Amino acid sequence: MSATPTRGQVLKLYKQFMKNARQFNDYNFREYFIRRARIGFKENKDVHDSQKLNTLFKEAQRDLGVLKRQSVLSQMYTFDKLVVEPLIKSHGHSRGL
Amino acid sequence: MFRTTLRAASPIASRAISRPLVAKSAFIGASKFVAPIRFYTAAPVDKKEITSRVIDVIKAFDKTAASSEVTGQTYFHKDLGLDSLDTVELLVAIEEEFDIEIPDKVADDLKSVGETVDYIASNPEAN
Amino acid sequence: MLGRTATTIGCRLSRLSSRSLRNGLLCVATRKYSPPAAAAVELANDLSLETHTDIQAAAREQAESRSAAAGTASEVSNSGTSALQHAYQENTGFGTRPIYLDMQATTPTDPRVLDTMLKFYTGLFGNPHSNTHAYGWETNKEIETARDQIASVINANSREIIFTSGATESNSMAIKGVGRFYKKTKKHIITTRTEHKCVLESARSMINEGFDVTFLNVDENGLVDLKELEASIRPDTCLVSVMAVNNEIGVMQPLEEIGAICRKHKVYFHTDAAQGYGKIPIDVNKMNIDLLSISSHKIYGPKGIGALFVRRRPRVRLDPIISGGGQERGLRSGTLAPALVAGFGEAARLIKQEYPNDIAHINRLSKKLVQGLLAIDHTSLNGSPDHRYPGCVNVSFAYVEGESLLMALRDIALSSGSACTSASLEPSYVLHALGKDDALAHSSIRFGIGRFTTDGEIDYVIKAITERVRFLRELSPLWEMVQEGIDLNSIEWSGH
Repeated sequence: MSATPTRGQVLKLYKQFMKNARQFNDYNFREYFIRRARIGFKENKDVHDSQKLNTLFKEAQRDLGVLKRQSVLSQMYTFDKLVVEPLIKSHGHSRGL
Repeated sequence: MFRTTLRAASPIASRAISRPLVAKSAFIGASKFVAPIRFYTAAPVDKKEITSRVIDVIKAFDKTAASSEVTGQTYFHKDLGLDSLDTVELLVAIEEEFDIEIPDKVADDLKSVGETVDYIASNPEAN
Repeated sequence: MLGRTATTIGCRLSRLSSRSLRNGLLCVATRKYSPPAAAAVELANDLSLETHTDIQAAAREQAESRSAAAGTASEVSNSGTSALQHAYQENTGFGTRPIYLDMQATTPTDPRVLDTMLKFYTGLFGNPHSNTHAYGWETNKEIETARDQIASVINANSREIIFTSGATESNSMAIKGVGRFYKKTKKHIITTRTEHKCVLESARSMINEGFDVTFLNVDENGLVDLKELEASIRPDTCLVSVMAVNNEIGVMQPLEEIGAICRKHKVYFHTDAAQGYGKIPIDVNKMNIDLLSISSHKIYGPKGIGALFVRRRPRVRLDPIISGGGQERGLRSGTLAPALVAGFGEAARLIKQEYPNDIAHINRLSKKLVQGLLAIDHTSLNGSPDHRYPGCVNVSFAYVEGESLLMALRDIALSSGSACTSASLEPSYVLHALGKDDALAHSSIRFGIGRFTTDGEIDYVIKAITERVRFLRELSPLWEMVQEGIDLNSIEWSGH
């Protein structure tokens, strides 16, 4: 079996989730996947059981694959911006939860 | 089964395969396709401006930071209460703002606004 | 020059194997500004891979046809240009596509669902009913996985799930199918006045086949009276059909209690759970549900597919509506659409997995919205405040005409209570059943909140509604009278 993911690996994975989520062209999907990644990683922050960590890590890697493909797709089929979206690129996203 | 192949292919994408892709296309002759626009625009950005842009990103990112004073001496964890995940997320926002990629090794050591600004100023790619 | 460009592109394309093209595109996601990605983006731009929508033109067209249909509404929106323009102008620097708050009509397809579906259009094309080769087997395997995922949301067995084209078909199949199977001995069906049109129409069509149908009334909260329900059951009653969550007002019926009554009297219990599946806890065994209709596109899945849960023990028998090769236990013949089935399955898996997060998010936004809207004078929440699915909020704005309000809210995709009969301006039969008068039924609007709704959107909606309700009321002579303290009921209106 593969070794338990290190803290660095988890943070790296989180970074990938965030980068890909932020690239969704669709406002609602973008906001959702950012929110979902935050919740998902935070709720498992205190998991130390190596077997559980391994399973979670593998699941997250698979989810990241989905996110990568879909954020690319979202950039290929674009729609007008929503009335709540600034036309000039905004910096950062609100963290309101 | 399908999923695995795609997954296996994607990490390679950003490294091995995509690089020769560019080299190849440069030889095809259509130089406008390669268009390394940023090579021409990369004027050095001064530190004062970087600091204010970094602070803007932080304020947009974090509610508590928005109302408190953020300076070059502000520490992400100690002063803003950001945990390691929040810090990663903040650095992603900063990367986007300056069109750069902060290597993981460097990112681990960025603990304050000042350190982040110093790194960006030292990065010739930043704009 | 054109020719040259074309050849260069062709040349480039020929050098890129499909594998590196794919990888190059994936690159866009990970390293947006690195040179290889820039090349890929540029390639994409040259081939115009991007698609754009012209929502403004569509909106204008729609608005024109609507205002032509309802002359009064256009007058209001035209005379109100200054304030409405103000509302738009204030918003310059932002996009133009409306906020989507009509989740009861349909939900956006979750990208994770689409990801599951795409492989059926790129390689897994086998007929799931072909059992002589691997193409059939691999697709069939995916279908059975989906069936398991769909069944597990309601604690059913996967063999009890029959795929259909959607909840409308499921409802028709349940009501007509059960009725026709038992028609020799049992010719009575019980349902309620607030059901979805397709249940009401199916029940009505059974009247033509010689059935008796009881349409139960609901109280002012939209709930059925259990005593009345029990009293309506006759020896020849074959089916009770009561919806889980109402599509207009979001009221949840007491399924467990109804199930117990039906089981006690040995009558089949069908529930239309199009709006409830995965959104409220449903357990077909605990609630003694015998038939349950599901729709995929209400749970962020693809449109064009749904399912009917048909209990095996004790067995529910029904006459199939469609004849053919005997697929789906002979109840629904025809080749399944594997992409839709798998997408539906993934949507079901997600609705179960995400339930705690989704419900917490929707609850919070719903509370915020209700609070914000009820802070406006003379507004009221329709339907029971307690027995409700929070993602459906139906509010009446007294002294405002619902259609005019919708016209003034083109930046928000909403529907009035009368959504299902949107072609006519007839007020909602559901609100009528709750005892609301025509005026109030006319002035009600339904807000649908879902997984992808954000705080920013809800804040925008509260602000926009507050401003525009105030504005429309200022135009209204009725509102003026109310402000002057005239009791509107005391006025004798003269007809023209």
